[in-house]
Amino acid sequence: MGAQNSDNNAAKREGMTRRGFIQAMGTGAVGASLSGAALAASHGNEPPEKILSAKDTVKIHLHINGADRAVLVEPRWTLLYVLREVIGLTGTKEGCSRGECGACTVLVDGIPRYACMTLAVEAQNCHITTLEGLMQGEELGPVQTAFVEEDAFQCGYCTPGQIMSVHGLLEKTPRPSMDEIRIGVSGNLCRCGAYNNIFRAARNAAERKIK
Amino acid sequence: MSNDRYHTVGKSILRRGAKERLTGNPIFCADMEPENALYLKAVRSRHPHAGILGIDVSSAMSVPGVVQVFTAKDIPGKNLMGIINKDQPLLAEDKVRSLADPVALVAARTPGAADLAAAAVSVDYDPLPAVFDPEEAMAQDAPQIHAKGNVMVQKKVCRGDVTAAFDKAHTIIEKTYRTSAIEHTYLEPDAGIGFPDEDGTLVIYASTQNPHYDHKEVVSLLGVEDHAVRIIQAATGGGFGSKLDMNVQGFIGLALYHLKQPVRYVYTREEAFLATAKRHPFVIHMKTGADETGRITAMQMKAVCNTGAYGSYGIAVASRAAVHATGPYAIDNVNLECTAVYTNHPFCGAMRGFGTPQMALAHESQMDLHARALNMDPLEIRVLNGVKKGTVTATGQVLTDSVGFQDCLTAVQPEYEKAMKGWLSEPTPAYIRRGVGIGGMWYGIGNTGVQNPSTARVAMDREGQVTLFTGCADIGQGSTTVLSQIAGEALGLDAMDIHVVVADTKYTTNAGATSASRQTYISGNAVKQAADKLADVLLTEAVNYLKIRKSDLRLENGRVFDSRHPEKQVAFSRLAPRILDKGGELSWQGYFDPETVPLHPDTGEGIPYSTYAFACHAACVEVDVLTGETSVCRVIAAHDVGKAIHPENVIGQICGGVAMGVGFALMEEFVPGETISMNDYHIPTAADMPCVIPIIVEASEPSGPFGAKGVGEPALIPTAPAIINAVTHALGKRIYALPASLERVLDASIASGHFNNCYQES
Ligand code: FES
Ligand code: FES
Repeated sequence: MGAQNSDNNAAKREGMTRRGFIQAMGTGAVGASLSGAALAASHGNEPPEKILSAKDTVKIHLHINGADRAVLVEPRWTLLYVLREVIGLTGTKEGCSRGECGACTVLVDGIPRYACMTLAVEAQNCHITTLEGLMQGEELGPVQTAFVEEDAFQCGYCTPGQIMSVHGLLEKTPRPSMDEIRIGVSGNLCRCGAYNNIFRAARNAAERKIK
Repeated sequence: MSNDRYHTVGKSILRRGAKERLTGNPIFCADMEPENALYLKAVRSRHPHAGILGIDVSSAMSVPGVVQVFTAKDIPGKNLMGIINKDQPLLAEDKVRSLADPVALVAARTPGAADLAAAAVSVDYDPLPAVFDPEEAMAQDAPQIHAKGNVMVQKKVCRGDVTAAFDKAHTIIEKTYRTSAIEHTYLEPDAGIGFPDEDGTLVIYASTQNPHYDHKEVVSLLGVEDHAVRIIQAATGGGFGSKLDMNVQGFIGLALYHLKQPVRYVYTREEAFLATAKRHPFVIHMKTGADETGRITAMQMKAVCNTGAYGSYGIAVASRAAVHATGPYAIDNVNLECTAVYTNHPFCGAMRGFGTPQMALAHESQMDLHARALNMDPLEIRVLNGVKKGTVTATGQVLTDSVGFQDCLTAVQPEYEKAMKGWLSEPTPAYIRRGVGIGGMWYGIGNTGVQNPSTARVAMDREGQVTLFTGCADIGQGSTTVLSQIAGEALGLDAMDIHVVVADTKYTTNAGATSASRQTYISGNAVKQAADKLADVLLTEAVNYLKIRKSDLRLENGRVFDSRHPEKQVAFSRLAPRILDKGGELSWQGYFDPETVPLHPDTGEGIPYSTYAFACHAACVEVDVLTGETSVCRVIAAHDVGKAIHPENVIGQICGGVAMGVGFALMEEFVPGETISMNDYHIPTAADMPCVIPIIVEASEPSGPFGAKGVGEPALIPTAPAIINAVTHALGKRIYALPASLERVLDASIASGHFNNCYQES
């Protein structure tokens, strides 16, 4: 009959339950916003000399799904806005624009981030991976295929974000435990409640990738 | 559960549209951007209740980039919406009734300009006293929200002699239950786009559960002919009832009508929270009497639900609540009444279950209270009272077929007993107490005592290709897949070999709403009827061609063959041109309306539904007596669905329903003016998700397509009562108001002494 899984009390204590999730958001623990300073430091960016107003545009370079893109952005634009509205990559979804749902999850230098909580200028020179970047030509990549195989979605709106979180998890932890999976996707809400199948899909994806 | 006699029904085939959802293609409205689209933004009320003395749009119009600002006087047709009772204006005219009410609509070239202009619209309000509590709103001197009074509707169901039955009862239990307003929190905020096509038709793509209703409503708002508007359902990121109402569709229609230019409106999360329907909060007074064996002999129930500023689906919620108050139990004497009341709360409408989840909290708590009073096991008292074939319901309907409640109880029993015996007695830290609880439910499929037909068309072209045309909106639950399976089964085709045209008012006929768990049963029957007609035409022509009598012929893999000599066969592609050339018909319409009888206005007597789904959940919880935190560890969920056309889909619905039930039970509460977004409205995350053990029970429904009924809403209904009963079991103290938040559980822990015992020990 499927969809059975083991009891999970231990994980629940450690993982992001709804309340833990909310608390953690404030401190950025669930891979949400990149601190600008930290990013600038990690990429050796000098602070801009000229003080820009919010309406000025700056040219920045983003490495998106393996391709280099130069885009003109206003400093206040989020990475989510730039991906969707400027570049036209609609695989990254907007569910709240306030760091509360995970629909906008992308990988920034291999780490799952909320694109709505990351300014585009912060992602300057970073390697960004979106759902489109997981495609293998016209075919679905392994994590996407695992989601189809395990029926790990209903409406599909949270799914790109879930897939990016699983992909990010597997890059770091190729053989995740059930608890690690649970924690790995606990920053991605799914109102259709496909969670149990998402866990299965993560396992399935891990096996596919190892093969 | 043998599926062998079916070709595709009962098989969990790849869902339609699965891959398309995972490539990043622009399939949702917010992904679509027609060229030169204008951005729309509604200006919402600043008062929960106020007269409007005037609206000044001049400074808004002078914001650079603004194209137009519309108010009620720009609406060319009828400025009233509502699927059951029309009481909600698209844009407020003389007054606002809630903070969600739109008063003006801005169209601008950029989102920034739209926001600035919306803020610059100046409205002269005359604030009125507001009322938010439905019981207060029923008072004589309460502020009047609509001209016809604050009581929107009262639904009653009476049968037998309640007074006499209470006189004779051995135990009587009387309690009051409260539930909170719930925000659907679908992940995709409401969105739509529109553009005029070459011949001037106003085309609207919408995130919706009912494109044909949207069509009717937009046509009426604009006062235009039917063909002037076309609604197409875009991929819809969940709905759960809220996307049955008009959200952005009316605004898009209005702007398109005047500007004849592409427009786009995507709600922010905050706007989706503020401006869309909520689940009705209920206050339920319930009194039940039982004899000494535990048989419930009488129920009196008075409920008041808050429909907020507008009716939306409130009338359906009230009648469904009254009809379902007894739960899946045979109770001979009942007096049930549900009143829906207008207040200045943002409007409440349909949400997964229409009042039944609220009722289930009450009847399932009462069941446990009776069991406790008589020292019975909770499962045993449900078996004793549970409906069976032949039971007469509160509305006087005799349940004749597909009554799987007892089977559901039997199905959860082994796991329930294991939990009661083994799991409960495992050692836990002192601050953790475990509990096991049961919840039962029944749910009538389709709308309550009213006609709610569906139509569908199945057509074959000259080459033998079959296309299914259905108006049924798939909002993620998988109806397109299920309907293709039903058509495929009738025609001996793989579901995936059938083309589908879905939820486009230009090409499909009305299938009614994706609500009330009705699409598999009602639209499934319409599709089956159309497909059966086409199959019969093919068989008839095959008789001619093969010279074999019809009863020996079968359809399979795109051909008709002799069941005794399978080598004698003819392909659909050969039959199709022969039929057409003779002037035959290859395009067939199906129609189905469930057999119901309208309910008597005073007694509720009648046949509200032609069939019911049943379910039982058992929940295992751990309560931290020091913090009030409740973890749901495991839910065993047995559902009688008649027939699982697509078992994985059914399991998906069950697991999703459990997730939503966990939220309803433990954390969700929408407070107008305070709840802004998911930051202050908590829905379950992956880490809140229990282990779910779904069990499919199939008590075949003779009137259903291949025996099927429905599961979408039933999935959610028993979870919350099962959890509340489990928490009560853990603490020995009952919680009567949802959600059972940290504070409420902690209060119960303190009141029961567990907090103190544990605190002193440590
Ligand atoms: S859209 Fe970024 S977290 Fe919701
Ligand atoms: S699949 Fe609908 S929100 Fe996750």
